[in-house]
Amino acid sequence: MVDKTIMCPNCKKHLTIQGQPGEKIYITCPKCDTKGKFTFPGKTSYKTTDESYALNIEGLTKTFNGFKAVDNISFSVKKGEIFGFLGPNGAGKTTTIKSILGLLRADSGNIKINGYDIKKNEIEAKRSIGYLPERVAFYDNLTPVQTLNFFCELQGADKSIISGLLNDVGLSDTLDRKVGGFSKGMLQLLGIAQTMIGKTPVYILDEPMGGLDPRWVKIIRDKIIKLNEQGATIIFSSHILSEVQTLCDEVVIINKGKIIAKDTVENLNKYLKIKPRLEITITGLNGKIPEIIKKIDGIESIDIKNDVLFITCDSVARINIISEIKDKGFDVKDIKTIEPSLEEAFMKIVTKDDEGVA
Amino acid sequence: MAIINPKSIYSVAKKEFMDNLRNKWIIAMMIIFLLLTILASYLAGGQAGGEEAFGGMEETVVSLLSISSLLIPIIAIMLGYSTISGEAENGSLSIVLTYPVKRIEVLIGKLFGLGSVLIFSIVVGFGAGGLIIAATVGASESLAYLSFIALTIMLGFMYLSLSICISSFCKKRVTSIAGGIVIFFWAMIYGMIIFGILLASGTSYEDFLTPGFTYPDWLFTSVFFSPGDTYQMAVMQAFGLSQAFGFAIEAPEYMSLGLLVFAQFIWLIIPLILAYRFFKRRDI
Repeated sequence: MVDKTIMCPNCKKHLTIQGQPGEKIYITCPKCDTKGKFTFPGKTSYKTTDESYALNIEGLTKTFNGFKAVDNISFSVKKGEIFGFLGPNGAGKTTTIKSILGLLRADSGNIKINGYDIKKNEIEAKRSIGYLPERVAFYDNLTPVQTLNFFCELQGADKSIISGLLNDVGLSDTLDRKVGGFSKGMLQLLGIAQTMIGKTPVYILDEPMGGLDPRWVKIIRDKIIKLNEQGATIIFSSHILSEVQTLCDEVVIINKGKIIAKDTVENLNKYLKIKPRLEITITGLNGKIPEIIKKIDGIESIDIKNDVLFITCDSVARINIISEIKDKGFDVKDIKTIEPSLEEAFMKIVTKDDEGVA
Repeated sequence: MAIINPKSIYSVAKKEFMDNLRNKWIIAMMIIFLLLTILASYLAGGQAGGEEAFGGMEETVVSLLSISSLLIPIIAIMLGYSTISGEAENGSLSIVLTYPVKRIEVLIGKLFGLGSVLIFSIVVGFGAGGLIIAATVGASESLAYLSFIALTIMLGFMYLSLSICISSFCKKRVTSIAGGIVIFFWAMIYGMIIFGILLASGTSYEDFLTPGFTYPDWLFTSVFFSPGDTYQMAVMQAFGLSQAFGFAIEAPEYMSLGLLVFAQFIWLIIPLILAYRFFKRRDI
């Protein structure tokens, strides 16, 4: 049940009305008897509130022994988004996430998850979250099934989903093993299985792909996309830009406990002009850049060290370069695409920030 | 303070029971406990059944008392010392606390779950002893034996509550190990302090060994400041024992079983309240 204040179009009187998200109600103004109808925002299908935000943070600050790890952060995540939370190591990502969840006791700040205030309505707020911590650990002497059983009980969820969840993350052949013997990757997978208990509308994942091999990274990515298609909001932290670029709708970048950029991925890409770097090894170059490559359009910078060319360019130029060197019969030993690191992107933002552009 | 959900407490308790009952250290301690109890009751029971009828129950309880006074606190501390600090450090607690549970429910669930492991080991250990006594001496004293078991469970809960309190306070597992060691040795350190004060206040060592020597009242009062001492005193009161470890002990009037059990409840509740206060504010 949510409250909404509306204004009578005739006599301008303010009224407070109550209803469920998606509910349509008919109102008669008590002052001038004007009749009207009002539809509460939000979808009725999902366990949700009137808020159009899955997460709402205002003025979050957390200090550790006088050190401000998170300094007056405010941001919102719209429902149905995949939201990236970026920052170099030690920027305050995990501190922010843990403060949002109430694991760390914040100094100040208002936090709403799925419209529920984490302080005033702790249980409902927590019922809306699936959380994957940065370091995943469970109970050494329990099996994966017993572990998920426990979490189902806490969430009040149906236990019949457990075998399906374990199958989903590829742990169905470890059912009788104790979790104490699991590798880091397996713990991560069990951690992800655990977040999906209870079909929560908001997922907060702290470095979900950290420590996994590429095969599992793909599975996790697909899982995130699938959950999002089903209507869930995904918030995940990462220090790998390519993950964020391909998955997220919107991004916040933090450093030293402060937000330094907040935008859609599209805008951020345009703004940063970050492009992957091409590294081509050709035998016999000896520090000389071939003229034909220099002539190709769209190359931003080109550099050479012995037999290795370093080229920053857009994707069209990249295809042209590769086909050109193939056509001209160069002795190509190796071609690599180096994704720009967050550190590079981050440095760019900081530099622009210092210049007063951002 | 909103309502507490008993289902969440039950789930946490069940998880703690399943996880800790399979802990190899706890299993090792339980086996040692079981073997020593069987041995002690067999020896005492055998004596009782022999020519010199000692009054088997008394002898058996005194020998079991020295085993349980040592092993039950160890098991309780091992169960509790890292239950919060260790889980906070490795990260498992952070997952639990993002589920719709309150910290108070987690804390109470842990006390009940770990307490069940304690009750299980006490019942297994003393159950075997009880059967031997029943076989050799007879089952006539079974009620007294049951009250002995109940007091031992209380001893375990006092130490469990203390170790959970330490675990909520200490930031790291390592520091809570140190805390656990301190509370374990407190009983001994405390005994030495009291003995030191007794000698310093004019009682000589010879007095101490003289039969019929009356101890000062404050010596009995000091019992209340050590959970282990309240246990031994309570067991002796319950069995009407006036002699332990070779010393004749004539307790003053006010030292009733009821008062001792009341003191034990205080030892159980105060550390729990403190534990909740530390846990509530704690960063996980």
